[in-house]
Amino acid sequence: MRVVIADDAVILREGLARLLEARGLTVVAAVADAGELKRAVAEHAPDVVVVDIRMPPTHTDEGLRAALELRREHPDVGILLFSQYVETRYVKDLLAESAAGVGYLLKERVADLDDFVDALRRVAGGGTALDPEVLSHLLGGSRGALDGLTPREREVLALMAEGRTNDAIARRFVVSGRAIEKHVANIFAKLGLPPSGDDHRRVLAVLRYLESA
Amino acid sequence: MRCGRAGRELLFVLSTVVFAVFGPAFVVGFLTLGTFLSVTAIGVPLLAAGLLGARRLGGVQRGLAAALLGERIEEPPPPRDLPGFYGRVQSLLTDPHGWRAVAFYLLQPPQALLQAATVVFTWCWGAVALTHPLQRALGWNQTREGWSIAGYSLEPFPRPFLVSLAGLALLWLAPRAVRLALLPNRLLMRWLLGPHRPAARIRDLEESRALVVDESAAVLRRIERDLHDGAQARMVSLIMQLTLLKETVPEGPARQLAAQAQDTASQAVRELRELVRGLHPPVLDQGLEAALAALADTVPLRTELRVEVPRLRAAVETIAYFCVAELLTNAVRHSGADEARVSAVLDGGLLRVEVEDDGRGGATALPGSGLSGLRERVGAVDGRLLVHSPAGGPTRITVELPANR
Repeated sequence: MRVVIADDAVILREGLARLLEARGLTVVAAVADAGELKRAVAEHAPDVVVVDIRMPPTHTDEGLRAALELRREHPDVGILLFSQYVETRYVKDLLAESAAGVGYLLKERVADLDDFVDALRRVAGGGTALDPEVLSHLLGGSRGALDGLTPREREVLALMAEGRTNDAIARRFVVSGRAIEKHVANIFAKLGLPPSGDDHRRVLAVLRYLESA
Repeated sequence: MRCGRAGRELLFVLSTVVFAVFGPAFVVGFLTLGTFLSVTAIGVPLLAAGLLGARRLGGVQRGLAAALLGERIEEPPPPRDLPGFYGRVQSLLTDPHGWRAVAFYLLQPPQALLQAATVVFTWCWGAVALTHPLQRALGWNQTREGWSIAGYSLEPFPRPFLVSLAGLALLWLAPRAVRLALLPNRLLMRWLLGPHRPAARIRDLEESRALVVDESAAVLRRIERDLHDGAQARMVSLIMQLTLLKETVPEGPARQLAAQAQDTASQAVRELRELVRGLHPPVLDQGLEAALAALADTVPLRTELRVEVPRLRAAVETIAYFCVAELLTNAVRHSGADEARVSAVLDGGLLRVEVEDDGRGGATALPGSGLSGLRERVGAVDGRLLVHSPAGGPTRITVELPANR
């Protein structure tokens, strides 16, 4: 698996590169800012990028902005945000386009290399990997929300989390699209998701699922 | 020298008499006209012009006092600089020094009377008494029986010279008496035409407090940066090195120790993160809107957010952020609310932040409560916290913060 790392702290990008190489991953580039990241992605066409959120010049959200751009320009490249902080503002935007191939882990998660590499592979393969702490921020600490769901609703939600559409889920269960729509509406209602853009609610529902998983 | 000084003091008395006529006429004229016309658009500006005039007149008076009496009175600080015509009017109306100058001129007529009377009783009568023998010789200013005081006749010659002696004494007394008579006016000038100490002090304190508040916001931000780039990054690096260690050593006590060390380091990273969040949430670097949106994301309430503000002074943004954080937390913990509305708008120079929830109400800012803590924090930048929370709800709490210094 080919990886590009973007982090302005040299000790961290080199440390991470060594760890990933120890597990047989190929770090094709390790860069220090968003501009270099975009060039490296264009040049090396990696499977996944690991992006620090705070990078020069302003050290606020350059990494996230770069990730949003990469998403548009290279939708097939997995993006794992890698930060010391929980930043929720653009994460929802990033997930809203599609939660597939996006991850967000706090930096200390490298303590468990197996989990970390798993998450990286999942993201590279179009899956999701969200840090429990990020999730709890996104969900505002409302836990146990899935308790009210029926087993079928949970199954539907699990498939939504994998990024499947209502039609795909309906085919899987061999029921009508309308039946799935009804399940989805029930899920939204039971999770207490505010009426807003449907996509946004879908992401939130998925996030809740991920949290409880 | 002495003569020169007495002469200057006499000149000053003369100027006092002139000012005591025109000063009150001017201020009373402007103030009454302004007050009567305050039902129209020009009344209040006229009032302000009168106050400005009184201030300027006070400046002339200070100049005379310095030149003639050697009484150097510091110039009061200028009125606050508020933008626009009405800002200027407002700053003049609220300028204590204008009103003090008005008070000074209203008090001038009795001062002038005292000074003029003193001059007449000492200088004039002294001169008259001194020249009594001369007047007698010329047949001026005489009564039929001649002068007498308390039945003691000042006739015949050379008794009239006693009158001259008394005149001399009066003239010796004159400069001293005039100086004494000027004393209350000097005190009045110092008190009413100089800088109002408490007002000047308040201004100084406001400025230095603003500096302190801004400096502390800047320091907190710097600490946050330093922690992120320094201690936190090194901790993460340490975790990575320990991970590498675990990869290289065989299963056994060494690997377990490395894992324990990682747990400790991870704990430290979490604690640093919490610490930073209480000091200066990193998201604030992206402005109030981003920071409040992030906050709204983290509370288990349906939150409607309306933030229409540009970038503001860092200290104000920080205080607004922590207020909303605390108010939303309160709404979740105590009010049983499902929904909250958060708005932040700039109104004039005032940042108005409002948090409203549909909970059960009854929130009060009792001493020691979270709300009174917020009130103290808001007070650091001269803001206000208004609580509207009837029993049964809803609760609406408004925080007003001056957005500019």
